[in-house]
Amino acid sequence: MKKKKVLLDGSGNEITVVKKSSKRVVVNVIYYTCGAVLSLFFLFPLIYMLAVSTKSDASIAASAGTLEMFLPDFKNIGSMFSNYKKLFVEYEIGKYALNSIRYAIIVIVLNVIINGLAGYVLAKFRIPGKKFFTFIILFLIVVPVETSIVPLYMIVKQLLNIKGTASILGIILPATISVFNMFLFMQFFQGIPKDYEEAARMDGAGNLAIFFKIILPLSKPIVATVAVFCFIGVWNDYLWPTMILVNYPDLMPIQSALTTIQSIEGITTGEVMASLVITSIPIFIVYVAAQKYIVQGFGTAGLKV
Amino acid sequence: MTKLTVLIFAVMAAVFLGVVAYDLARAKKTHTQFHIKHCAVGFLMIGPAVVLSFVFIMLPILFSLGYAFTDYQLLTPDKVKFIGFDNIADIFKEIFSGGELLTAIKNTAIFVVCVVPLQIIMALGLALFCSRKVRGAAIFKVCFFAPVVISLTVTSYLWLTILDPAETGLFNSLLGAFGIPPQDFLRDPDTAMLWIVLLSAWQGCGYQMLIFLSGLTNIRSDLYEAARLDGANAWKRFVNITVPGLKSSVLYITITVFIGACRIMVQPMLMTGYQEHTVTLSYFMYKQGYDFGFVGKSSAVALLMTIFIGLITFIQKKVLSEK
Amino acid sequence: MNKILKIIGAVACVAVVASGIPAWVSGAEDGESSGGNTVVSVMFHVSTSSKEGQAYKKRIDAFNEHYKEQKIKAQATYIPRTSGSSANETALTAMKSEGTLPDIITFDSPKCSYYASKDILYNITNMVSDVKDEFIASSINYYEDKIYGLPVQESSAGFYYNKNLFRQAGISDKEISEYGDETPWTYTEFLSVCERLSSVCSTSAVDMRFKATTDETAPYLLYPFVYASGGEFCSKDGNTVTGFFDSDETASAFGFFKTLLDKKYSSYTVDANDFYNGKVGMFLSSGWTIPDLRNKNYTAFPGGEGWGLLPYPYEAEGKAASATGSWSFGITDNHHKDKTAARMLLRWLVTDESSQVITEHTGMISAKKAVNEGRYADGSPEAMLLKQLATTGKSRPAMVGYAVLSTTFNQVINDLEKSSDIKSFLTEKARTMQATIKDY
Repeated sequence: MKKKKVLLDGSGNEITVVKKSSKRVVVNVIYYTCGAVLSLFFLFPLIYMLAVSTKSDASIAASAGTLEMFLPDFKNIGSMFSNYKKLFVEYEIGKYALNSIRYAIIVIVLNVIINGLAGYVLAKFRIPGKKFFTFIILFLIVVPVETSIVPLYMIVKQLLNIKGTASILGIILPATISVFNMFLFMQFFQGIPKDYEEAARMDGAGNLAIFFKIILPLSKPIVATVAVFCFIGVWNDYLWPTMILVNYPDLMPIQSALTTIQSIEGITTGEVMASLVITSIPIFIVYVAAQKYIVQGFGTAGLKV
Repeated sequence: MTKLTVLIFAVMAAVFLGVVAYDLARAKKTHTQFHIKHCAVGFLMIGPAVVLSFVFIMLPILFSLGYAFTDYQLLTPDKVKFIGFDNIADIFKEIFSGGELLTAIKNTAIFVVCVVPLQIIMALGLALFCSRKVRGAAIFKVCFFAPVVISLTVTSYLWLTILDPAETGLFNSLLGAFGIPPQDFLRDPDTAMLWIVLLSAWQGCGYQMLIFLSGLTNIRSDLYEAARLDGANAWKRFVNITVPGLKSSVLYITITVFIGACRIMVQPMLMTGYQEHTVTLSYFMYKQGYDFGFVGKSSAVALLMTIFIGLITFIQKKVLSEK
Repeated sequence: MNKILKIIGAVACVAVVASGIPAWVSGAEDGESSGGNTVVSVMFHVSTSSKEGQAYKKRIDAFNEHYKEQKIKAQATYIPRTSGSSANETALTAMKSEGTLPDIITFDSPKCSYYASKDILYNITNMVSDVKDEFIASSINYYEDKIYGLPVQESSAGFYYNKNLFRQAGISDKEISEYGDETPWTYTEFLSVCERLSSVCSTSAVDMRFKATTDETAPYLLYPFVYASGGEFCSKDGNTVTGFFDSDETASAFGFFKTLLDKKYSSYTVDANDFYNGKVGMFLSSGWTIPDLRNKNYTAFPGGEGWGLLPYPYEAEGKAASATGSWSFGITDNHHKDKTAARMLLRWLVTDESSQVITEHTGMISAKKAVNEGRYADGSPEAMLLKQLATTGKSRPAMVGYAVLSTTFNQVINDLEKSSDIKSFLTEKARTMQATIKDY
């Protein structure tokens, strides 16, 4: 009962602490205890990953089923980072991470421009056939895409005839379009008052100028949200780039390289976990850095489905 | 392939032109006007997105849904024959004769019915918890969000260790402390799906929490002030201000969580394998299509599933937005 | 300040992207444009960062050196096969639909029938008839009595045991040596060992890997028991399972598993760590475990010592059988009608010399008899596996629908404990399976 009260107090009202009554202290203690327990509940996979990534197979086996499995390998403190060292030195993970970052930057820029423009038109323009586009977008969000990877491969290879090192286009182009991002942009732009555009139009600005100089700067939250989604998409994708870049292992993004590493016979669980830590950390950082914008982005978009 | 692409393009273009013609006709009737220059600029700006989504999203999806009407075997793409509605008829036969597909549908339904409310309630609870304006709430928010960024593979693997049926398994050693004998959580048909529900909600709710938080920040705080002055207690304020204020977030979250839940596959695949008590529709599709090679049948299931999800989404939208 | 940061960020982004451009535009040549050479392409299932991949790379380089004069050039791609969604197989499918299948591929041996029946693999019977006797007989891949694949490595499995626990259970070295001797041990002897082990093992006597039902592990390790009980999985042509998968003999093999469960000799709860930590007496596993036990210094086996390897047991009325089957090479039925170059490369990859190199890299047993000759000391675990392969090795059933069988096998193992009537349980499963495989 008490817990519920704490929760309800939190529903958006300003808590102005005028005098520190003993009741407030109790509430705070309960709040922080609950928070800590809940945090542990949500954090333990990260803790576990970090712990295992410092261990050798023998110490993992030895710590199985005990609390030690959540603790780093203090017994062999000298070799705690040997798994990481191996990944960076022997398997050159840095090179592949850089590849991923390159693709991500290109994809983010193109994705924001292409989907942003489309969302802008759908939100602000009066053109015939707009309903048709909106309907198609919603349809494409609903359809499962799991089965379409082979047709997509054929389209890239046969229809578009993308070969050789140009294959990186095969990674970048499909990633530049996302109906979901288009939808987010559309929702967000609908919430921007018309006055801004009209003022700019009075000054003689063209449509593109309005989009880049007025609309986009006003839409930082949604741009950040889309950028984060793009980054995660590119960073986590592996099946598709692996297929497309079959002949160019040096151009592969990090996940393709990691699945390759993970499939090596004789790789230890610790090394696998270390590789997973390496891939999870950047995403975590990006999220933490951008979460303020994501909250705003979703909020202002209004999310009218 | 090129021929088919042209055909699809022609059909889409025809439909589009039809819609444009209809819009123009209606514009005439209602005496509104489209400015030609305005429209031209609009089409130019939306052009790249249309072309790209046609080539990279629309075409692959239509191709793969189109396989539903063929006998496509994964390894013999050169021998594909059009067989009309045979696959779909087969599917309905299998459903009505109580085959594996029916089990998959049942399991998916159980999963969806459990996970959608659970995940939404968890997300809402966490959002309310984090929206309390005290020091440290932001840190909690980051913690609750952590599972979202970790890959499904890792979390599945981790939960496998936690739910390990051995006495030394983490949960079982906890139960052991209360004198309860070790349980085989994931092999037990009664509990396996519930654990998969729990783990999915646990992993996903951080994301919906962010959406709820953004919904909460949008509720004007003077509403609460006014209510407080009127003497409304916390529960009343929650029901009368918070809940209505979150309406659009709830609608959005319900629909996205529902669509995601319908497609669940990785968790049962990694945690129990292809077992009767946990096989889901997407897993069934994957197995039939990629493992057994019956792409035609798999696509037919995908097609029906798409129609079904579309319908339900439409109904949800109607029902929830009216309230 | 903010503006400066922004500019720095933008410049950094541009710089990072620009630094990648040289790699994207260089090496633009792709495929068959290599100066009048006949190109033969091959796709491996491992990456070049693995030891096995390095060995293949060496052999491909040697091939290109050797055939330089004759203007034949081998071109290799390495797409690792990963568990879960396999990039390797998806790529194969995509290449098939695109019409660009490589000339030679590697494939997991039970896939042979599926690939052969779907025109991925090419009938190589005539190309290799003169060398086929050099291989361990059970390792060659047949489909409808024709050869479609040749391996370089072999793999087998057996029961790893903890010497210390065996001693505590009062099982003498002499008794152990009999089990690995001329004929393998019987189910009765196996059960008696389990009974004695039970008292000294803190979890179970034996880890039968009943838990490993999410992938090919359990089917691979457990299928020999069906043959050892005199049972079958399917008809000779691989198209019928009803009457075979639910025969009395097959049911008796699953019955044996159930006995182990009922008597608590094994369970669904033990895992590899239990064996490594000395809580389990025996551990059913493949040959890959040998290097692990030697090198990883587990608690129960300090210095890599204190363990041994026993063969598969068999039912007295049945015929002893053991697991075989690794990855094989096959020529594909692709657009190259002239298979001369492909034939040369295939034969090159399975020469004794190639097999020797690959064996040295991976530590696995070779599929070539000559390479194994005198390689392993008497009484070593490898020698045991080798003898087992030669005398009782029996490959997994040659079925087009092997994937369906493997899935069903896992389901049966998983539900074994619950089913009171194994025979009718198998009958029901066989019927479902039959309905699925008829569509191939």
